[in-house]
Amino acid sequence: MKSFVAFTKKEFTESLRTYRLVVLAAVFLLLGVMSPLFAKILPELLSGVDLGGGIVITAPDPTAMDSWAQFFKNVGQMGMLTLIITFSGIIANELNRGTLIILLTKGMKRHTVILSKFLSASVLWTASYLLCLTVCYAYTEYFWPASILSNAFLAFFSIWLFGEFLIALLIFGGILFGNLYGSLLTCLGVIVTLSLLNILPYVQKYNPIALAGGTLSLLNAQKEAADFIPVTIICSVMAVSLLVMSIVVFNKKQI
Amino acid sequence: MTNTLSVKGLSKSFGANKVIDSISFDVPEGSIFGFIGANGAGKTTTMKMILGLLPSDNGEIFVCGEKVSFGATKTNRFIGYLPDVPEFYGYMRAKEYLQLCGEIVGLDAVVKSRRIAELLDIVGLSGVNKRISALSRGMKQRLGMAQALLNEPELLICDEPTSALDPMGRKEILDTLKQASRKTTVFFSTHILSDVERICDRVAVISGGQIALSGTLAELRTKHKSNSILIKFASAIDKEQFVSAAALLMKDVKSVDMELTLRVTDIEAAQRVILRILSLNDILPLKLEVLEPTIESLYLEVAG
Amino acid sequence: MENLQEYLPFLIPLAVIQAGLMLASLIHVLRHDTYRFGNRPLWIVLCLATGIIGPVLYFAIGRGDE
Repeated sequence: MKSFVAFTKKEFTESLRTYRLVVLAAVFLLLGVMSPLFAKILPELLSGVDLGGGIVITAPDPTAMDSWAQFFKNVGQMGMLTLIITFSGIIANELNRGTLIILLTKGMKRHTVILSKFLSASVLWTASYLLCLTVCYAYTEYFWPASILSNAFLAFFSIWLFGEFLIALLIFGGILFGNLYGSLLTCLGVIVTLSLLNILPYVQKYNPIALAGGTLSLLNAQKEAADFIPVTIICSVMAVSLLVMSIVVFNKKQI
Repeated sequence: MTNTLSVKGLSKSFGANKVIDSISFDVPEGSIFGFIGANGAGKTTTMKMILGLLPSDNGEIFVCGEKVSFGATKTNRFIGYLPDVPEFYGYMRAKEYLQLCGEIVGLDAVVKSRRIAELLDIVGLSGVNKRISALSRGMKQRLGMAQALLNEPELLICDEPTSALDPMGRKEILDTLKQASRKTTVFFSTHILSDVERICDRVAVISGGQIALSGTLAELRTKHKSNSILIKFASAIDKEQFVSAAALLMKDVKSVDMELTLRVTDIEAAQRVILRILSLNDILPLKLEVLEPTIESLYLEVAG
Repeated sequence: MENLQEYLPFLIPLAVIQAGLMLASLIHVLRHDTYRFGNRPLWIVLCLATGIIGPVLYFAIGRGDE
């Protein structure tokens, strides 16, 4: 337990001094501001554009839902990409350089490394996500007051859960290959596979990738919470299994 | 005398390549044990098995009487380890790194800060407040020594602690090792034989995956006692005169400039004869010496 | 864009964050001379010209080990 606390403290120091924290905070703050801005500015930019032949685009006035649509799109794409890039080296860099050897020979358990890294990355991700959500919510409320959000908790929870899944995936890839590229490629490979699987209609409902982009339909009440329960469970189970597998593989690994 | 480290019939192969072939040795408590071998002889592999970082194919390792098992590194609580190229977190300062190590080992706060201050002083880093990334190779090695000694280990394992350093850095590390050995057993690998002669009291030479030679330095010296005598003459005339007068001794001779090295069977009898010939011919040599075997000559004999 | 005033609550924070990141990464690039890949001119261009992408890439994977 003592070594868990010590190592987690080290993880936060590392995030601070290697600019991980600053980058995450800045990017997610930016996404939080950008989403309502885009929702507001896009219709104005488009309306009045003459496509020729007398067809003029008339865009409807933006609503709070447009702002949240931008939020999900931005966090689901740019946000996830930033998350992947900032945490791609979380375990790979240590294995690559051999910085864990001294600490492990001091009697620190190997699973401590994995759990501590997952915890500290999760805290950073959660904080940045909450920052983004709060900022976006504040702007949205300011411009489109008293908008109704259905299933708000589950809708916002699901994209967070997908982020957790990505962190577990990056750790697993790092443990498996021991370098940055292994970690990145594992993560991208899984995302591409899940996206391809999404072409099959009967898979869509159970595919974790649905959590990354599809929860607007929850917020605007097109779908019900029950539609997303199975995939939420599947994604959680997958994240936990990835962590367990990481520990098992790491315990057998020669370093 | 109990053994702090005991290796019994240890073997390890990488694929078809048998790196370690059933080696056994004991490191008694309180000794400074030099583990000698060429690059790639299997020194690091052996150390990693002692630390439980690599699984062994065969054999047993005991640290302070407890058996080492791969992965579960319980016995590491007795050990301080300095890897050949210690890697730290470059964004930390030396003191912060030692604090991290202290917390991982589970030292309580008061003991920890006292130990850290002591150790920084011993390794000469107490005034250094730069980030580790800005430290020189020698300073990093000394920081490595400090972290290895942090938990007052029973056994200090150092992998080639001096090989990448300049003479000054080497001297500092050797002095620290010597100082550490008052409280702990030291097991270190090297291929620099002068380091061994400077501080070790026991050695094992590993060659071809096997222990080619082992014992205390004194034991090895007597066992491989030299039977060579070196004579250095003042002039070439003296030398010629001696050679013709002592024809009987000139069976196995090496002659370089003014020096003669004679290999003989009975060293004491030979010394008497030589002294008699010298005085009969009124030759005053510059030097007359019975050659001690060096670790180098022993090493070349077994591993050459 | 006739009503720029309306967009100021967005544009000010955006500009501040953007400029902050750009400046921070530029200073870091100029003060260090080892990079995990690429070289100084490349990173200067990326940090200045690609909005937030350059600085993020630089801090996350381009920055050399200290």
